[in-house]
Parts: sequence; structure tokens; C-alpha cells
Amino acid sequence: MASHPTTPGARAHTFDAIVVGSGISGGWAAKELCDRGLRTLVLERGRDVQHLRDYPTALKQPWELPHRGRLTHALAEANPIADRCYAFDEATEHFFVKDHEHPYEQEKRFDWIRGYQVGGKSLIWARQVQRWSRFDFEGPARDGFAEWPLTYDELAPWYSHVERFVGISGNRDGLETLPDGEFLPPWEMNDVERHLQSRIHAAFPDRRVIQGRCAHLTAPQPVHLEQGRGRCQARNLCYRGCPFGGYFSSNSATLPWAAKTGRLTVRPHAVVESVLHDDATGRASGVRVVDAETKATTDYFARVIFVNAACLNTNLILLNSKSRRFPAGLGNDHGLLGRYVAFHNYRGSLHASIDGFATSYYSGRRPTQVMMPNFRNVRRQEMDFQRGYMVFFGASRGGWTQGNGQAGVGAAFKDRITRPGPWGVFMMMQGETVPRHENHVRLSTERKDAWGVPLLVTAIDYHENDEKLLRDFLQQGEAMLDAAGAKRITKSDSRQAPGLDIHEMGGVRMGRDPKASLLNRWNQLHACPNVFVTDGACMASTGTQNPSLTFMALTARAAHHAAEELKRGNL
Amino acid sequence: MNRREALRQGGRLATAAALWAGLPARTWAALAAVPGWSDAEEQLLTLLGDTILPATPGSPGAGSVGIGRFVLMMTAECHGPDVAVAVRQLVRDVEADCQAAHGRGFSALNPAEREAILVARERKAAEQAKGGRFDPFRHVKGLVLLGYFTSEPGATQALRYDPVPGTYRGSVTLGENERSWAL
Repeated sequence: MASHPTTPGARAHTFDAIVVGSGISGGWAAKELCDRGLRTLVLERGRDVQHLRDYPTALKQPWELPHRGRLTHALAEANPIADRCYAFDEATEHFFVKDHEHPYEQEKRFDWIRGYQVGGKSLIWARQVQRWSRFDFEGPARDGFAEWPLTYDELAPWYSHVERFVGISGNRDGLETLPDGEFLPPWEMNDVERHLQSRIHAAFPDRRVIQGRCAHLTAPQPVHLEQGRGRCQARNLCYRGCPFGGYFSSNSATLPWAAKTGRLTVRPHAVVESVLHDDATGRASGVRVVDAETKATTDYFARVIFVNAACLNTNLILLNSKSRRFPAGLGNDHGLLGRYVAFHNYRGSLHASIDGFATSYYSGRRPTQVMMPNFRNVRRQEMDFQRGYMVFFGASRGGWTQGNGQAGVGAAFKDRITRPGPWGVFMMMQGETVPRHENHVRLSTERKDAWGVPLLVTAIDYHENDEKLLRDFLQQGEAMLDAAGAKRITKSDSRQAPGLDIHEMGGVRMGRDPKASLLNRWNQLHACPNVFVTDGACMASTGTQNPSLTFMALTARAAHHAAEELKRGNL
Repeated sequence: MNRREALRQGGRLATAAALWAGLPARTWAALAAVPGWSDAEEQLLTLLGDTILPATPGSPGAGSVGIGRFVLMMTAECHGPDVAVAVRQLVRDVEADCQAAHGRGFSALNPAEREAILVARERKAAEQAKGGRFDPFRHVKGLVLLGYFTSEPGATQALRYDPVPGTYRGSVTLGENERSWAL
């Protein structure tokens, strides 16, 4: 057991567990540790955001937003990075980090989108939740670039555990490539999406168009009502925070749940500078915090530490956790900390139109999309690139914005553009990228931030494999749209920088071999087992799925293990 | 000007006056005038917006929501200074088009004449913008559409707006005269 200071002041700063970060995985760590009886301190570098109270724009009508949702020139100019994020607008900008407040060094361009507040990015996530399949866990070893130290079957009960609490709508599709979960009723497809589904399936039997699975309560269960959450109202204004608790966030679900145990302490404005290592015991003893406002330094102590600061900040904290035992960062005996960072390739998209369906329409604003699980290199390597991609779809009719760029004025013009326009189809990719040694983050040797923490340097880029995969998606997307009878198909490559996918993963990867990885099968640092990393940083590969569900399942599993190990006296 | 023409002219001015009297209506009641722009320029933009999106059965025109002030405010706050210069030139060009064609300003024209002026100006502006240059007409028209269709009358009367839909129905038959959803 790690030694603990015993002076009265130190006792007030001593907890059973510390969780660094309050986002989607930190919230889960807090909930599970509190549920297991541990007094838990959650440290959040940003301000407090209370569910409902701190959603200033959640109930604003379109006409109540001064710029109708658009950013002012000054705000956009001051935040070129945040401004590239699709969700950053007048109604949501208060949940995004402003560029100038938190600089970093881009050795290679990386659009780092961050949410520094209680709840982190769980307030502004896209809420898409799909399980990984066995192919996603086994594929990296088959392809020789990483080895997951756990199997799908081991994680499956934990997927179920978090799914029941989160509340996930989805259809039971019975696909081996995208296992079913504990689902609430699915959202409906519209007429054109159903048309695409049947036509694509007829032309490509191995490609299945299914309804997206999302963290929205379509039929709240007692466990959701107990959280104070209600049914999703199909407003699709989620990024403002939901006044109904219709979607899952730390703020609406895990943190208030943990607080109800009486064992949770949340400390906002707490910038974690480093994890403290006790060289005598070989364990971490606590963390050092710099107050974001006063810059005062305080140490907090605990027997178990979960680092859930979000992928790159978790890397940053561990790299900055230097001790005599670990001069290159905590657990970093082999120089692999910060390496093998990967992300999702979002560059490709297609647009097309579908003729007909003139009397088909829909009502409400669905908070998810139709999708297609990966069909490339699933059972064996068969393409000239490694891994694969998931596809997202959506079909909708043009609204008033069809008037932009359309010639005409007057009553006839107004009449035309206020009627539903032609059907358009949108298709985009979510491609797996292979973690590579050269794709890394490290500490700046020259510059520090306002709290004395070295800036992060990003050196993450695309690879030829990503270009090939992108080309394949664009070709196949066109072929599928063509098979579905779509017209006027356009393909595009956004050439967006890594980061904008907001799916950065790795740097503190799990693995069986301590020489090739940082974390063991329970997300413990091989070299410092009372430190757990269960956010995106722990990922040995990226899969093609939206990653948050897997972070949550890994977190719950690791927290359970931590509590058991404490009970056994092993930590 | 004969008596009949004078009456017609007076009628038009009365219509315009009624439009101004209703300003700023509901949505932009609190918007301050945008510095650097004359009342005449703002009024011309309001009338221009009201010509692009006039009152039709069931919904008012863009003029009723003080669209000129919205266009100027958005131009000032959401775009760089070059855009304001281009918008001012557009206002001048429209007035010059009216003088050349009718010997009168935009506000003195009847609605059909105003439409014809804007149709021609839109075409000309698009031609001049070929090769990726900024098109001030497209810019103003875009803001007219944005301002109107996100205003309360635009969203709820010209379109359909449901703040809390409750659910999503994927297959709904579109009725003969049904409008798009505002969001």
C-alpha cells in the first residue's frame, strides 16, 4: 500500500481515489468508485457546469440568438481551431476551449478540440455509441501493429453494464461486425433511407445499412428516471446541454449519481500538473494541482488514481509526472509514452440527390444518423490498405437554405423555397487509422502554459494507408449511391487535419507486453499499478466505431477491478 | 406627373411608410442602429429584403422584421470590413439601376419594378463574381433568408416550427400546401 501523509492538513486532502477529469470516462470512474464505497475526488481543470442550471442557451428559440447561431467575426477570427469544429457556434461556444487560452505547439497540424468544464466533452459529443466487435479487438494483432490484452467477450458484460445506465437507442441487427447491445427502441429511418437500405443491400449483400445507435432515451427505464432524466424530445439541440436529460452526459447522469452516494467531491478549476510518485513504495501517492484561478499549488493523496483527462491531456500529465524512478514520465521506462497516437479519418464525404419521393416527409429532428458497419478487411486482409471504415448516411429534404445560391426574388421564390426541396443524401466515412510510432505527442522543452505546465507538442499525421482507405471509401460510396439510384453524386476530400474528428486515441496504450505498452489488461500502468488510464489514451487501436462507449466500458471494468484490488489489499 | 400617377406614387409611399411605422417589429426591437449607415441605406435594404421575401398569404414579408437592420448588424459583426464596403456599393448600384431604368429611386418603384431591378442586379452580381469573387447580392440575400426564416414570423408562419417535437417520425405524407420545417 502506498504511504500516506498523516498530518491533519494532508488528511483533509486525502481520499480513497482520485479521478483526473470529469468527462465521459472520468464521470464513469467517479460513479463506479463511489458506488463501490470509495471516497472519490474528481479534479476538473475547468469551471463547474451543473446540469440544467448551466445550459444558458438550451431553451433559446432561433430568434433569441442574436446572430442566429452564427459566430461573430471577432470570435471566429480569434479561434481558428475551435471554429473548424462543426459544433462550435453561437449557442455552444461556451463549452469549447478558446484557442488563445490553451496554446499548444503543432509540429504537424492537429486541430485539438477541447472542452474544459465539469462534464468535459460529454456535453458536446456526437452521442454515437457502437460496440466494438471481436474483429476490432483481434484485427490489430492479426495485422501485427498492436495487441489488445482483452477480448470482446471479456468486455461484453461491461458494455451491457454501461449501456443499461446510459440508455442507448438502437435496433437489434444481429451483426457480428457490430454486436447488439442493451437497446432502447431505435429511431426510425425515413422513406429515402429505407430505400437506400434495401437497394444497397441488394447490390452488396455484405453491406448493411442500419439505424445509428445513440445515447438518447427513446424510452426511459427506471434507472434513467432515477437519474432525473427524461425522454429525448427530438429537438436535436444537444450541444447546448439538454433540459430534458434526453442524452447522456457526465453532468446529467454519472456525476449526480456519484454525488448521491455522499462520497463524491468535485473540485473545479483544478489543473493537474502531475501524478506524484513515491519511489519508496513504487506507487503513486497522489496528484499535484495548480488552482486555475489563484495558481496556488495543492497536493491531493489517494490509494488509487484514475487519469481521465482526455487522450492528449492524459498523455501530457503522465509525461510531466517525473520522478527519480521515472525521469521520462510516469510508467515510461521504454520511451513509448506519448507514442502510437491515432485518430479517425473523416476526410471523405459524398453528396447526391434522389429523385422522386415527392410526398415523403418526416417530422421531428432525429439526433442520430443511419450507418453501415465496416465491411473491409474484416475476416482477412483483402485490400491494398489495412483496416477499414464505417459509413454514416443521412437523407433529408432541402429546407429554406435551398434558397441560398438559387436565383429569384418575390412571392414565387418565397413560395418555392418554403416548400420541402428535393431529397439529398449525405454520406461520410469514419476510417480507422493505424497507430504508428512516429505519430506522437511530447512536452515542449521551451514553453509552459499559464499554470507552469509544459505545452504539448503534437506530431501526428496521415499515412499513405489513410489515403488509400479514403480513395476506397469514395469509390465505394459512389458505387453504393449509384446502385441506390442516386443522381448528381459529388465526392469530396476535406483534407482536414487530424484532430478535428475529436477521436484522438492512444499514447498510453494497453498491451500484453510491458515492453511494448504502458497499461495492462485492467488499464493499470504496468510499472505503477495504482494508476489507471481509461480514457482515449489507453487505446491500442481505434476501431471504426465512435469510441466513447468503449472508454466507458473499459472505465467501469477497471474501476471495479481497482475496488476489488483495494479490498484484497493489493493496491 | 399626372394626377393618376401622383396618386399611385402616393399610394406606394404610403405602403412604404406603413412598413417603416411597423419597424422595428418584434424581433429586432432591441437592435441598435448600426453605426456608419444612414437611415436611407437601412431602409433600402429593408425594402430590398421585403422584395426578395414579400408578404404572401399567411405570412408577412421580410420587411416586417426590420431585415435591413439585421443585414447591417450581421455584416458588421459577423464579417470582415471589406464586406460592408461591398454591401454599400450594392446599395448604390441598386439605386443607380433604378434611376437608369425609371428615373426614380428603389422605394418609389412598384413591387413588380423592384423585382425586375433585383432580378437583373442578381444576375449581374453573379456574373461579376465569376471566378470566386465576393458576390454582395448573394451575401445580402443570404442574410435576408437567414434573418427572416429564423425570425418568429418567418419560422412559425412562412415555415413550420416545432420547438419540442417529442419524437421523430420517418414517414409522413406531405400535404398539398405544407411548408418545410424551420429547423
